[in-house]
Amino acid sequence: MSSERSDEPVTDGGTVVRDESGSGSVGGRAGAFYRSLRENEFSVVIGSALFLVVFPTLLIEGLGTLNDSIGDPGIGGYEGLASLVLIYGIIVVGFNLLLGYTELLSFGHAAFFGTAAYSAALLSSTAEITFAGFSATMPGITSPIAMLVFGTALATLLAWPIGFMSIRRSGVYFAVLTLTFGQMLYFFALGPGSGITDGDNGFGDVNVGELLGFVDLGEPVSQFGALYLPVVGNFEVPFLITLDYVAIEYVFVAVLFLLALTVANRIVNSPYGLIFEALGENEQRVEFVGLNVFRYKLMAFIISGAFAGMGGALFVMHESFIHPATALYWIQSGDFVIMTVLGGTGSLVGPVFGAFIFEYIANVISGATIPVIGEIGSLWRLILGAVFVVIVWVFPRGAYGALVDLKNIVVRAVLVLIWAVRNPGDVPEATTDAFGRFRDGLSSWMRRLMARVGLGGGS
Amino acid sequence: MGLLEMEGLTKRFSGLTAVDDVDLTVERGETKAVIGPNGAGKSTTINLVTGMLAPTEGHVYYDLPDEDAADLHEIRAVPADERDQAQRERIEELRGEYGITGSEPHEVVQKGISKSFQTASIFPGMSARENVQMAALANEHGSFQLNFLRKRDSFREVDETATEMLEAVELLGSDDVEAGSLPYGDKRRLEIAIALASEPDLLFMDEPTAGMSPEETKSTVDLVEDLQEELGLTIVLVEHDMEVIFRIADSIAVLNRGAIIADGTPQEVQDNTDVQEAYLGGVEL
Repeated sequence: MSSERSDEPVTDGGTVVRDESGSGSVGGRAGAFYRSLRENEFSVVIGSALFLVVFPTLLIEGLGTLNDSIGDPGIGGYEGLASLVLIYGIIVVGFNLLLGYTELLSFGHAAFFGTAAYSAALLSSTAEITFAGFSATMPGITSPIAMLVFGTALATLLAWPIGFMSIRRSGVYFAVLTLTFGQMLYFFALGPGSGITDGDNGFGDVNVGELLGFVDLGEPVSQFGALYLPVVGNFEVPFLITLDYVAIEYVFVAVLFLLALTVANRIVNSPYGLIFEALGENEQRVEFVGLNVFRYKLMAFIISGAFAGMGGALFVMHESFIHPATALYWIQSGDFVIMTVLGGTGSLVGPVFGAFIFEYIANVISGATIPVIGEIGSLWRLILGAVFVVIVWVFPRGAYGALVDLKNIVVRAVLVLIWAVRNPGDVPEATTDAFGRFRDGLSSWMRRLMARVGLGGGS
Repeated sequence: MGLLEMEGLTKRFSGLTAVDDVDLTVERGETKAVIGPNGAGKSTTINLVTGMLAPTEGHVYYDLPDEDAADLHEIRAVPADERDQAQRERIEELRGEYGITGSEPHEVVQKGISKSFQTASIFPGMSARENVQMAALANEHGSFQLNFLRKRDSFREVDETATEMLEAVELLGSDDVEAGSLPYGDKRRLEIAIALASEPDLLFMDEPTAGMSPEETKSTVDLVEDLQEELGLTIVLVEHDMEVIFRIADSIAVLNRGAIIADGTPQEVQDNTDVQEAYLGGVEL
């Protein structure tokens, strides 16, 4: 790593990284290379793609090993989780454009999620629907891509008028207006619209056909070559394809997740990204540089609605069933908010970590049996709440912010180690200094903590 | 003739008349100070022009050719209910052509009127450069010409404008600094850079030296003078510091209880007995 650094005299006797900007940035060629890599938008996409290849393996094998080591408290049911995390990932990446950048808190995004889910389901269905005396037979178009496009398009179209009416108000009024619109749809689906949605019974006539006319999304990835590539035959991709229980659906979802991430990344790096961020910081100033605040807020709202719609359409393909309570109820909207904040609103991919933590607790931890309480079951929300409070309290930038902090600590530790190996003579003095700083830092942190909980000094 | 004209501008807040029948002309290229005791209606007047508030009565005109402005002045001098048919038709025509009354703030900015606020209104979490880029983007690419899938880096001219403006306010050295962590004086300068990046013809400055140390005040005054000379800006400033006003203002309008009680060169205003009575309580300047 930083080979140039060793030539510099370290005069303050401190650790090498003391003179850096404080965000853990690394000096030298390696650091510059890392930064240029990070700035390049394709590195986000390629990095994510590499991660997505190993994600199911990590999730299933890695956590399976962890379970065994703690005596397997009954945690199971991983198989669909990887897809589910990515589906919610798509939604929260878009939602974060609204909440994290534009700082508009919507409590109504279930409306777009649910609308897309129902419209994709209905498109694939052959059921007879009735509404207000009219009846029709659904077309039964089962192409996954058609379902996705149709669902996303309808959600986007709905986001337009709902955004138009809600964005006229700000703050709490905006949140309550979006909540109200979402609830209106929920009660519509349960009551007057039950001829379409089958109301409280839920809608189960979801028929996911073959992708591009020949790929069955339910088959395992490991059989892809054998089934569909007669000339090539079966082949193996390390990690991903060796798992028999990873369905081709995961690859479909992962590709769409990458697409969504690429688009979101581009938006963030476009003039819109700057304007969205500026809107979150000082709306009045945006107006006074000559930009129509309303239109840009509306645009952020519609874009996030489209992402929620994309997620909703994929969700119904994944679950093959949809019910007003999972699709349109306000708790679903609240879950998007929780995931986004849990993961961290300060970055593009942060919310995806929130979606992972959320879905992991909801689907995996809920199956565990622990002492005293017994099976967790529906108490998973209690655990989620505790995790949420801890993360928001300790890491204001969310789980992703915590990971970034951790990475910085590791980088610093490595740099210090390199420095110590190269300058062994200075080590004792530097250690004393570092220990002194640590002690000072700890005591000032303790004081601030005491002040924060209402004890002791502070201002 | 004026770049900005106000005609019978009035704003009432449930009984309180904050701005009362103000006729005011801001000449092209001048620096005009608006002074008056607290609550005289200075900020309200600015807010009426910039679109933050809608006037109860009256109109604001911007960028009139000289002959139209002359007509306006002539008609403006006649009370509204005594104007004849031709005058009424003429003023309606002027309102249609040059009126900016009731426009949204962003529309006013697009016409070439910028504003710096009393408290530095910046984007605290963004770098100083991004702050100015925002304004340059808005100026060069208008309201909705932007493609949200186009990379920001490709807007080279925007970055050039940003560099130019940061240089003008001597902040080029700290362009990577998060704006919120700049010292207060620099924040105000950054705000001026934001306002300038919109390439305005007319700049409103609401107490540009409020809360500044004497050194910061001096450098801000120098900056305003430079801007006026180099860019040919028309500046309207609300200010309390008489020393600043007498140094940079070409003309001074004095407001008291929402009405204009004097409007003229600094010397005229200084000698005006009404001003001495109402605003300065008889104390010699």
